[in-house]
Amino acid sequence: MLRKIRERLKSISQKDKNASLSDVNKKPVSKSITEKLFGRKTAKKETAKPKEEILGTQETIVRKTKFYTGQITKAVRMMPQELPIGYGVNRIIIQVRDPRWIHSYWEVTSDTWNRLRDELCDEFYKAKRVLRVYDVSYIVFDGSNANSFFDVEINDYSNNWYVDTQGPGKSWCVDLGLLLPGGRFITIVRSNTVTTPIEGPCWITDEEWMIPEEMFARLYGIGFGLGRSSPIGKAWQERIKRQLFSGALASPSSPMQKPKERKFWLVVNTELIVYGATEPDAAVFVQDKPIQLRPDGTFTLRFALPNGKQVIPVKAISADKEEERKITPIVNKETK
Amino acid sequence: MQKGYFCLVLHSHLPFVRHPEYEDFLEEDWLYEAITETYIPLIWVYEKLLEDKVDFRVTMSLSPTLISMLTDGLLQARYLKHLNKLIELAHKEVERTRWQPEFQSLAITYLNNFCRARETFERFKRNLTLAFKNIQDAGKLEIITCAATHGYFPLMEVCPESIRAQTKVAVNQYERVFGRKPQGIWLPECGYVPGSDEILKEVGLRYFFTDSHGVLHGTPRPKYGVFAPVYCKKTGIACFGRDLESSKQVWSSVEGYPGDHDYREFYRDIGFDLDYEYIKPYIHPDGVRINTGIKYYRITGSENKQPYNFEAAREKAASHAGNFMFNRERQIEYLFDFMKRKPIIVSPYDAELFGHWWYEGPMWLDFLFRKFAFDQNIIKMITPSEYLFENPRNQAITPSLSSWGWKGYSEIWLQGPNDWIYRHLHEASFKMTELAKSFPSADGLLRRALNQALRELLLAQSSDWAFILSTGTHTSYAIKRTKDHLLRFLRLYEDVKANSIDIQWLADVESKDNLFPDLDYRLHQ
Repeated sequence: MLRKIRERLKSISQKDKNASLSDVNKKPVSKSITEKLFGRKTAKKETAKPKEEILGTQETIVRKTKFYTGQITKAVRMMPQELPIGYGVNRIIIQVRDPRWIHSYWEVTSDTWNRLRDELCDEFYKAKRVLRVYDVSYIVFDGSNANSFFDVEINDYSNNWYVDTQGPGKSWCVDLGLLLPGGRFITIVRSNTVTTPIEGPCWITDEEWMIPEEMFARLYGIGFGLGRSSPIGKAWQERIKRQLFSGALASPSSPMQKPKERKFWLVVNTELIVYGATEPDAAVFVQDKPIQLRPDGTFTLRFALPNGKQVIPVKAISADKEEERKITPIVNKETK
Repeated sequence: MQKGYFCLVLHSHLPFVRHPEYEDFLEEDWLYEAITETYIPLIWVYEKLLEDKVDFRVTMSLSPTLISMLTDGLLQARYLKHLNKLIELAHKEVERTRWQPEFQSLAITYLNNFCRARETFERFKRNLTLAFKNIQDAGKLEIITCAATHGYFPLMEVCPESIRAQTKVAVNQYERVFGRKPQGIWLPECGYVPGSDEILKEVGLRYFFTDSHGVLHGTPRPKYGVFAPVYCKKTGIACFGRDLESSKQVWSSVEGYPGDHDYREFYRDIGFDLDYEYIKPYIHPDGVRINTGIKYYRITGSENKQPYNFEAAREKAASHAGNFMFNRERQIEYLFDFMKRKPIIVSPYDAELFGHWWYEGPMWLDFLFRKFAFDQNIIKMITPSEYLFENPRNQAITPSLSSWGWKGYSEIWLQGPNDWIYRHLHEASFKMTELAKSFPSADGLLRRALNQALRELLLAQSSDWAFILSTGTHTSYAIKRTKDHLLRFLRLYEDVKANSIDIQWLADVESKDNLFPDLDYRLHQ
């Protein structure tokens, strides 16, 4: 919808532009014609003018300076319409999507690629681009002490990747790099560290706040809406259970529900328009209710028209209350 | 005997949508509809409860972008214009439905409600935050804050400076508007990432909320599940976990209360149902049919929708409120028996669910507050601050990364259609941090440019854009907003670095993205 509006605006403004352009184009043309036809006369007028100054010209020039802050010499900068493709940095950022998946995006400058190409020569073209995903849980990662790592091969054109870590509750760091045919790995850029959340309740308990396993299970269930006091039916509970055990906690953040896709359909409604006119200062009653007249004495009423008979007395009384006119349309509507 | 607590939390938020450059802008209707259908009806409920001297408690977040729009002169004027059109349409509807009494009575009710909404709006000099402030000052409502533009914290983990700015800007605005410090915060999308509580501590916030698994999957295991708050290790900020059972009763579109056949059908609006020529002046100027807010049908349960009946819906809302309370009583009794401590049930909802989506929602709330006050003595309605005052001793754990979005984590804001935004958002955050560092005390034009740069960054960070992108429909506006703010930010960054700020352009951008007038760019550190 917005696009439509914008396009319309655009076409309007273009029209305006075209119009003003053609105006500009026209002027000199018409001028030259007038000059041709009445050359002498216009020339005379123009030379005569400067001699007498139009009243207030000077004052206007002076007053204008009050609002003059300096010549704008800079050309008006056009706003770019698109975001930059890159920011000229080497960077990889990772983010947690859920307990198992992390998302990584990166940027590597062409300078860096060129340097690697120069250094590695032939090997560069044989190397695979990979994300090396390090498990860095509970350590200060120095590049060589990861608990474990695995590689994800990526293609040359992507600039982001979703990685299935298979490991909830762990910390991760990712290197974007080149894996050479000989097995050597060259890090191009290293990411931040993130920690995925655990997928279920924690196995660590607090001595001071101990709770028997069975009781926690009950609390856990109630917390997730499996309580026995729930009146909202088995179906929902079952669904929650399924979601609970499939690891997906559905909690709609938008309650919007789209209407069902209908097949072929037809809707027919009827409305009745009652309109007329009288003296503008008359009082008019439709079905004994006063109505408002337009300034010219006309009126229009619009009614939803149900089945059956409608008797619609329209009564007008003159301003001096001397005269009265009454017309009563009767409408029968049936639907078959 | 009192055996536990019930804490109702309403989260109100809309992204900042304000387009002075257009006469009429479709997305601004989000605000107008929410005012007419949710915020004003909630104010009516609260005011009537106060008037009737009903003791009630409710916790409500008003997001800083929402506060900015509710206090903005242009949007206030536009809302009034919008409402006047609606009143004009309702007048016509009363006339048009003269021979259909079942519809005419509805049209009359709509007309009265709209007129009353206008009266309320004008009574508070168009500034509805004053209405909420009054209820808070009366001690019944606890207003909490939210992040400045509803930025989703777990995806800002690499730039804590932005989390800090989102939080500090929000707290500053809260103090200015409500004349006191906020006690708690609603983390946008209920999104918590361990460590962000340190920033909450810096600004003096005392509590926040997570979804159930944020607490249940915390380390170590929380003894009382979600039925007692926990303190975050290191910071001591309290974290309240959501109770899913009570949530689902209201949230679920299938089994929840809002799907009842006596309730109003959201999708049958006269903006779509009536003759085009007749309705044209009240839909989008472009001629596209939109919702007007006048709806005549109830859900019914079949394709052949029946006319809505206010009285029947009201009775159903009363009985649903009774059912909800009954279930909470049983839940509390059950929990109290084996916890040996008074449990707290925390039920957070989007405020806009009440009234806008679930038309009878405010009425249901009204019944619920009254029933809790008069029809039972097992449960005490409470705000988190009051709870912590009464129950200061709680277990310390590290809550789990979580959100209340689809699947419980960050996927809704980080997937194919929206993952491209983060490389730009993060880069902008890094650049903003660099600016704040390079200019420890800027003045004049430079300061204005730096402040505006932060405004643009914050606006780009609204989780709403990523959310809309994930839905795959009507995404063009979300894309436009993301790009516009980032491009404006990048230009400001370059202009500041090159020491060539274009004052006219800056003034233009300031007049469009005019929220947080007392913003300080140095908060982004």
